Amino acid sequence: MMRKRFLFSLASVLLLSTLLLAGCNSGKSTEGSGKVTLTFGTSQSGIPRTGIMQTMAKEYEQETGIKIDFQVVPDAQWRDLIKVKLASGEAPDIFNVDVDPLSMPANVRPEENAIDLTNEEFTGRMSEEILPTVSHNDKVYGVSFAPTKIWYVYYNKRIFQELGIEPPTSYAEFKAISQKIKDKDIIPFYQAPASGWYQVLPLFETGPNYEQTTAGTYEKLNNNEMKVADMTQLKTVIEQLKEFADLGYFGKDFLSNTVEAGIEAFGQEKAAMLLRVPGTEKEVSEAYPAMKDNMGFFVMPWGDNQTIGVNPGGSAAMFGNKNSKHPEEVLKFFRWITEHDHLQRVFDEGEGNLTICWPEIEPKLTQDYIDYEKNHEKGTVMQAAVKYIDPQWMDIGKDLSGMFAGAMTPDQILQNIDKRRAEQAKVLKDEKWQ
Amino acid sequence: MNANKIYPWYFSSGAIVLYLLFIVAPALLGIYYSFTDWNSYSSEKNFIGLEHFRTILAGDPTYLLFIKNTVLFTLVTSIAKTVLGLFLALLLVSGVKAANVHRMIIFSPQVLSFLIVGLVFKSLLDPNNGFVNVTLRSMGLDVLTQNWLGSLTWAMPSIMAVDTWKGMGYIMVLFIAGLLAIPRDYYEAASIDGAGFGQKLFRITIPMLMPTITIATVLNITYGLRVFDAVYVLTNGGPGNATDVINTAVYSSFAKGYWGLGSALSTILFVIMAIISFFIIRLMNRKVEY
Repeated sequence: MMRKRFLFSLASVLLLSTLLLAGCNSGKSTEGSGKVTLTFGTSQSGIPRTGIMQTMAKEYEQETGIKIDFQVVPDAQWRDLIKVKLASGEAPDIFNVDVDPLSMPANVRPEENAIDLTNEEFTGRMSEEILPTVSHNDKVYGVSFAPTKIWYVYYNKRIFQELGIEPPTSYAEFKAISQKIKDKDIIPFYQAPASGWYQVLPLFETGPNYEQTTAGTYEKLNNNEMKVADMTQLKTVIEQLKEFADLGYFGKDFLSNTVEAGIEAFGQEKAAMLLRVPGTEKEVSEAYPAMKDNMGFFVMPWGDNQTIGVNPGGSAAMFGNKNSKHPEEVLKFFRWITEHDHLQRVFDEGEGNLTICWPEIEPKLTQDYIDYEKNHEKGTVMQAAVKYIDPQWMDIGKDLSGMFAGAMTPDQILQNIDKRRAEQAKVLKDEKWQ
Repeated sequence: MNANKIYPWYFSSGAIVLYLLFIVAPALLGIYYSFTDWNSYSSEKNFIGLEHFRTILAGDPTYLLFIKNTVLFTLVTSIAKTVLGLFLALLLVSGVKAANVHRMIIFSPQVLSFLIVGLVFKSLLDPNNGFVNVTLRSMGLDVLTQNWLGSLTWAMPSIMAVDTWKGMGYIMVLFIAGLLAIPRDYYEAASIDGAGFGQKLFRITIPMLMPTITIATVLNITYGLRVFDAVYVLTNGGPGNATDVINTAVYSSFAKGYWGLGSALSTILFVIMAIISFFIIRLMNRKVEY
């Protein structure tokens, strides 16, 4: 009798535990009222900082009764966090992922995790440039608003004028003007290693220059026929960054600088140059009206680069979670937000991007940009054309910070990049690395 | 089986099931995964033996740096917290005014989340506008200003200092309890015999405090080996990998989707902690004679 009771109690506890576990796994996206709530996970820079997406989501809720619950995570954590969430089945109904044609399939595993959008009307309206970054095996999985991304060096025209200097066209000129700016107690170039990713831009945005000088570099790297450590030009860029740091052109104690603080440093004329994307003028002059019409730009001249690096993707795209309890509602939201008027609103009330990856929306590129692009060659940036570079972006950022602090050499950084490429190729069973 | 033997199992069965389900099973699974190539890029899990352990212990020197950093952090913070905790406890039981207020102030950082402490200290230690460097500059001590969290020399000591500041209050409270438990008669007898402060400290106080010191050491060492939040919030392992410890490497491996490798790192940490705990428990079980 006693034994029976004992077994009964044990069974009850086991049953209770099972129910507890099942309860832990239950979705939270339906409220008691029967109203559907869609969770939307994103990094900070995955949606406009102006808050337009949240505002529109509230209007969408009034129209349809479907609530969008935004879960915004710092940039440096999101890239890793979403991988874990996808693998554990805890991903939000809608999630943003930074996309490029090379790493999106591995990062998202779209066939298992993303709603197929191929037959949706709106996919036919996205630009052909962006489609490869959100597609896999001839199926479209993502929705993007991202412009084709170009990073320029923005400079303060007044400071340049006062010092009688011109935008540089080579590294030697870049160094010379930086020295003149430094002599005036102004930080020549704003660098932001504390954000983890910003200092990596010069290495790979100048990729088209490597490809132009030694044709076939990208292909050889993708076929594992050469190592990143063999790229002498890339090594030169890293050495030049170190030289800039040592000469004080990034300022004193710049290792604690963040990207966000760059606008302030530039706007308050503490720094004369910084790396940004087209549209920066709006953000800077809104915060610092004195800077209106005081900003010029030029292509980054590290490694004597004069080619504009273009990233067709590289920014966030929205994916619908295939395992969501509300796939229809997710699709309904995608259809709504991609209506022409809503796209226009995202563009107009966003952070000032001058283009968007929807040809039906008129770009706002000024004549300056159009002329500049006409006069310079363009090429695809290295992270969008060479495998296993983009996924290790933050690691390279850490290595560069280590180099600035004196812990690593440019050669060690290059070797680390190769080591991590090999690690990822091995994990993905890349036949070129077997 | 008779009722007396069944009863203890009967009452503890719920706890045992929960313990097996939520503690033992995940731990064993974690050890199993450390022998597989499990990752976020594929649903396959292949048994690969000791490959991850070879990578960590023999293949990649950065992992040895993480282990070295963890051990260094543990040693320095354990000693610092114990010494400072003891010093503060002695000070506060010696009849200093408003001892309870001081005790509360010194203990208060312990109840704060490291997220808050870390953000506050990041601001205080900012090389350009941080309180520490600004104060030093205003006193004409520019030569002492440093990039506290951004330099190879100062980043790890700065994290250790912040962690010690946060944790010493708790150790101090343990020592106060230990000190108050020592009978006053010993000190009175020693005073009559003409013993000075040093003699009382080393002949009475410290020997009588040995059980408390042992507990404090265990707590400090286990906390030190598990450190994550202090490093993550203050430097995220930088500059470079200069302040990375085992747990930041575990976090980074898991975050990248290299779950097998992350599990192997956790298993190594588990083994290190098990060995140290074994020796500490043996030490604790030694009979202390006065």
